[in-house]
Amino acid sequence: MLRRLGGALDRDALLTAPADVRPYECDGLTGYRAVPAAVLLPRSTEQVAACVRICHDAGVAYVARGAGTGLSGGALPVAGGVVICLARMTRVLSVDVDNARVVVQPGVTNAAVTEAVAIHGLYYAPDPSSQVVCTIGGNVAENSGGAHCLKHGFTTHHVVAATLVTALGEVASLGSAVADTPGYDLLGVVVGSEGTLGIVTEVTLRVLRRPRLVGMLLAAFDGVEAAATAVSRIIAAGVLPAAVEMMDRLTREASEQAVHAGYPDCEALLLVEVDGIEAECLAQLGECREICEAAGAVEIRVAETAEERALMWRGRRAAFAAMGRVSPGYYVQDGVVPRTRLPEVLHGIAELSASYGLRVGNVFHAGDGNLHPLVCYDPAAAGEAERALELAGRILDVCLAAGGSITGEHGVGRDKACAMPKMFSGAALTVMDRVRSAFDPSGLCNPGKLLPTPRLCGEVPGFHRVHPVEAAGLAERW
Amino acid sequence: MTAAAVSGAVAAGIVGNSFVRAAAAGDAVGGVVPSLVVSPATEEEVAAVLAWASRDGLAVAACGGGTKMAWGAPPRRCDVVLSTLRLAGVVEHEPGDLVCVVRAGTPLADVQALVGVHGQRLALDPPHGVAATIGGIVATGAWGPLRTHYGTARDLVLGCRFVLADGTVGHSGGKVVKNVAGYDVAKLLIGSLGTLAVITEVSLRLHPVARASRTVVCGPLPPADVAAACRAVVAAPVVPVAMVALLPEGTVLVQVEGTEAGVAAQVEVLGSVAPLSRVLSDAEATAAWEHARVLAWGGDDASDAADAVASVAVPRAHLDALITVLGTEATRAVVLPSLGIAAAQGDHIVALRTWAASLGGHAVLHRAPPDLASLAWPAVADPAVTLMRAVKQSLDPAATLSPGRHLGGI
Repeated sequence: MLRRLGGALDRDALLTAPADVRPYECDGLTGYRAVPAAVLLPRSTEQVAACVRICHDAGVAYVARGAGTGLSGGALPVAGGVVICLARMTRVLSVDVDNARVVVQPGVTNAAVTEAVAIHGLYYAPDPSSQVVCTIGGNVAENSGGAHCLKHGFTTHHVVAATLVTALGEVASLGSAVADTPGYDLLGVVVGSEGTLGIVTEVTLRVLRRPRLVGMLLAAFDGVEAAATAVSRIIAAGVLPAAVEMMDRLTREASEQAVHAGYPDCEALLLVEVDGIEAECLAQLGECREICEAAGAVEIRVAETAEERALMWRGRRAAFAAMGRVSPGYYVQDGVVPRTRLPEVLHGIAELSASYGLRVGNVFHAGDGNLHPLVCYDPAAAGEAERALELAGRILDVCLAAGGSITGEHGVGRDKACAMPKMFSGAALTVMDRVRSAFDPSGLCNPGKLLPTPRLCGEVPGFHRVHPVEAAGLAERW
Repeated sequence: MTAAAVSGAVAAGIVGNSFVRAAAAGDAVGGVVPSLVVSPATEEEVAAVLAWASRDGLAVAACGGGTKMAWGAPPRRCDVVLSTLRLAGVVEHEPGDLVCVVRAGTPLADVQALVGVHGQRLALDPPHGVAATIGGIVATGAWGPLRTHYGTARDLVLGCRFVLADGTVGHSGGKVVKNVAGYDVAKLLIGSLGTLAVITEVSLRLHPVARASRTVVCGPLPPADVAAACRAVVAAPVVPVAMVALLPEGTVLVQVEGTEAGVAAQVEVLGSVAPLSRVLSDAEATAAWEHARVLAWGGDDASDAADAVASVAVPRAHLDALITVLGTEATRAVVLPSLGIAAAQGDHIVALRTWAASLGGHAVLHRAPPDLASLAWPAVADPAVTLMRAVKQSLDPAATLSPGRHLGGI
């Protein structure tokens, strides 16, 4: 099979030496590792399709990979399987300014899309914090978000068409640059499918006109609950900010040490950005300011210049990495709760933190209730990493009890596959499995991700529960 | 199996005698008259009805308000219409979260009334907005002028519950605005015309009713000037929540929303860029938008159903051509200029399909008189359609749900 793969690719595009394949053993979630037998570096849709056909014929599992920045183990290889790395497919294929469309290969980075259209006053809205390195292919797989998706939507709202190499090695065109493609919205289910329904090799993106004005304020509160209340009131008042971000004391202090954004000393810091036409922006900013004051903000600063705004963002963007300064190890959790439940959920997280004796920092997309608790631990202390993981899992339980989700943007991947039954009934998971088999009947396309299997998770309670209709003798399972 | 052979006894055992009745001509799905109409009141009853129908080889079509049962191609078979009207009511509405969860048979008007009390709305204004149910709107992907800014059901559905033909109850998404856990199965169901599952509950993103809203009308303009006026508005520093060009009358309606200050500034800009423009009173604006919806899709009057209704989409750079072609080939049309989309009525609109395809676009005949109904979908054969068939086969292997109503006879 390796010889056939080599024949389908460019001369230097098949890696098999242990030292060459080792760097692909994990993605951004380094706790899970598996060494693939081969790493393929195709340059075209045709090469990807040829490789998939060869894997399919040989019955070998394969995993597509972009920059490997994912945080849920979605690009974790199958041991002894094949990694199809799209990092060499980095061309921007076309820019259509009149129709605000850009066609790119999957290895193009998120930031490069905006770079390609900036000269025309356009930009690509989804902005995951890894945007300088993460690729569009990975964004499509994960339905990536970012700070600005509160107003402008997620990847799924900006991908209008994609070329999909199916699990049978055929090339399918999903969606189109024009709205309302006839037929089922296959693209809608492929975006966010974490590479389990095929491999996307070309993507058509919608780009937006740069807003006329961007305004920003920061508000300091003496408690996270007061800040969370302000967030709820802003949204309920009808203001739809471009972004609403929150940092608690621990993450703010870490960020200050790292980049000196000059944030005020406080328990909770709120960053609110608005964009749009001038009059609307200024009115919204004024309203946000009043709401923050009424909610008990102890200090409010409005960015007067683009530089001040950039500095406010720099502290926020640096927060994850800066945690390394205050803790030798940390686990990034990703959960979602309804906005109105933020105060009680943050309180619940604080209680868990106290009972485990582990610090938890909170820096997150408050506007859409997407939490990123950073669970701090010392890898050198016996058993602490395990307790941190357990605490992170308990946080998801708190999110679910509040009516939320186990992941808002990092994906299920390998990491949370066994947590899926906490959120979905056994029947709902079998339906998803039926969708998966429609696309990938052989089960070779990124297996072991997204859905729980007995092999991964042991016997999962509920996964193969008998449906009441079956129990009543009204139906047999197909 | 002939329609007359279907006994209602089993269905009556599930939902009760009062909620099974013999079908009449008015229950037809794309012209095919079923034999029974069954009205389950719970998701469990939906599951039981579907399981019975699958087991007995009966074909089922789901029906909400019944306003779009003529959409799509005629089904190959239809024995039972499953009415969702008893699956009604709002399950949950947390105003602070701008999210509501409603049962599929809830009329859109009821949802708007309930959330309207809290100064909120579902930003969907599809045709037949009074009788149409949430489940039907999602299953047809129906839209109105607000699509300009708020998109369609695709942009507003956060999650849903549904029942497959074999009675399996599935769900996807949730009731939070951001969520990437599991496959977004709801995307497959939106616009699927009930061919994959029966939707039982939908979780929706709401928007606050803006404090200020104005509609500016410009025109009537000569046909040749409509596109230029539209382009001037699209290029201007305004963010319309709805913008339509009405044909053949040659008027353009633009609605802006937001704060008083923001709306006033936008109205001023519109006054300077849009020719022959005038701000409408609130009452005039309400009437104008209702007129636009009827012009696009036809009213609730049955006589409107005689006309074919299509949606046409082309790259928006071809707006001038779109407006010109619709001016001659359609009897009436509503164009969303910023998106390059139109809803059009008329006897010749099937001819637009080839034209749209030549520009990289497409046309779908949503509703058609009997002689055209088989042309609802374009003829396509490519790997994407193979995947669509595989999805149908996997979720509804016995072809129980409205077989033949969707693209490619799916």
